[in-house]
Amino acid sequence: MAEPAKKQVVDFYRYPSIGGDDWRYAFAVARVRALETQMVTRSTLLDMANAAGYEQAVELLSSSEYGLGKGAMGFDELENLLRARRSAVRQLFAELMIDERIVELFRSRTDFANMRLVLRRVLTGKPLGDDYSDEGNVSPEQLAEVFEGENYHLLGDYLSEAVEQTVLNYYQDKDIRRIDYTLDAAQAGHNLARAAELGSVFLLGLFGIQIDLNNVRTMLRLKFTDSQQRNVFLKGGFVEIDRFRRGLDMGSDAVAGLFFATPYFEVVQAGASFLVSDKSFLKIEQQCDDYLNGYLRSTVQITAGPQPIIAYLLLKEDEIRKVRLILTAKRSHLDAKLILDRLG
Amino acid sequence: MLANVNATRMELLQLRRRVALASRGHRLLSEKRDEISRNLIQIARRIHPLRKRVEQELLRTCRRFMLARASMEPEDVKAALAVPTKKFNLAVTFANIMNVKVPQLAKQMEGEIICYGFANTSGEMDVALMALERALDTLVELAEKEKQARLLAVELQMTRRRVNVLEHVVIPEIRETIKFIYDKLGEAERDNISRLMKIADIIRA
Repeated sequence: MAEPAKKQVVDFYRYPSIGGDDWRYAFAVARVRALETQMVTRSTLLDMANAAGYEQAVELLSSSEYGLGKGAMGFDELENLLRARRSAVRQLFAELMIDERIVELFRSRTDFANMRLVLRRVLTGKPLGDDYSDEGNVSPEQLAEVFEGENYHLLGDYLSEAVEQTVLNYYQDKDIRRIDYTLDAAQAGHNLARAAELGSVFLLGLFGIQIDLNNVRTMLRLKFTDSQQRNVFLKGGFVEIDRFRRGLDMGSDAVAGLFFATPYFEVVQAGASFLVSDKSFLKIEQQCDDYLNGYLRSTVQITAGPQPIIAYLLLKEDEIRKVRLILTAKRSHLDAKLILDRLG
Repeated sequence: MLANVNATRMELLQLRRRVALASRGHRLLSEKRDEISRNLIQIARRIHPLRKRVEQELLRTCRRFMLARASMEPEDVKAALAVPTKKFNLAVTFANIMNVKVPQLAKQMEGEIICYGFANTSGEMDVALMALERALDTLVELAEKEKQARLLAVELQMTRRRVNVLEHVVIPEIRETIKFIYDKLGEAERDNISRLMKIADIIRA
């Protein structure tokens, strides 16, 4: 007998609950609070965006941990520096987090990214390569060994199931995008399952928001590209998938009304109207980032617990992306308006 | 040329035929030069706005792509673009403009340009790739026109040289030789007449 469809209810106005305190994390949270004061402020990012050129933008970062030199820095050099910062933050996160399962959960993001790359190569008959990220639970060497011998069970439960499902789905019509769709769905499912297993209200809320925001972006992207695909939305969010599907049949101007009863009304409204007027996704991406960051910042209410540490990791990663965005844009002499549209 | 020439009536007739042929060739080549110039100017007039459009479209595409690339994690960028699905074929046929074989390009595209999922990629990448797909039409047209212009320009340069050689070297030289032979033959005729007159005088005396 088929399982009855579970009715999803949005039982919060702006953000879902962030859970309670866990006093084992008292020291770690204190450290994170101290580190938060060293983060690049929004005003610095805006000053960088409005700076006359790349050199001036770099100078504004001189007092921060990025400490870029005054000399001209190539894209590769800049990318390596930012990657090093990201690795350091992830390393710190692993040190501060007492529950190893949470560290593994966040490392699995890299596993899924590696899996997207390796499966695309393997299934299309390209060489395996060795340029995989080593920040996941599965090392690049292990990954090569698994795919050379096709011993997917060595990857662990969640990855081996995802890989097998992906291979099956790919061979249905040999559409390369199916690899991503299947892995995206598997990643979302794994995140939610692991959050439920950990009993973390905060993680359930976080992944639910991430799924919803992904679906919002996907809906607008499908509308923009006039795509006929309707089964690419991720399950497990707070907003039911039918609402997104209905959104595909509506005009871009009217789509925001569909989300009036959800916390994402403002996000969709601002993003959709900007998409119609400017043919750009900068606003929707900025709105999604701001919404998610708002949820992460609400962990300020927690005195001790894993929530502020997770929030610090994600906010720091977002900061690194923003620094990369501004410096890349400045180096390429892009208009400040474009950067500001993305930063908000 | 004058040193080697045989000042004979046969040579004169041959040279007269040659100068007539050279003059006809000069006229035809001049007409070809003018026609190539006309075609070249027409193509060049179309190239300028096309190039401007292509440069603007590619610049816009690059900007979008840079924004997308910068706002995504490097691993996700690599995974998204690792295996492209769009196949691009270019069919080349040749047209004849004033005996110059110029290429005509026709593009054939298969598959979707958006070859990745939506969860870890930026919407700006969709915009950039779709703009790139649109820019390809103009880009192929520009490549075709620029190649045609280059081939016509080479042919024009060659034709102009030929016309100049005929006009300033070959025809004047032949004409000079004809004049030289004509003068020589006239001189010989006058010699002959005066010699005959002298002989007639001697006989009469």
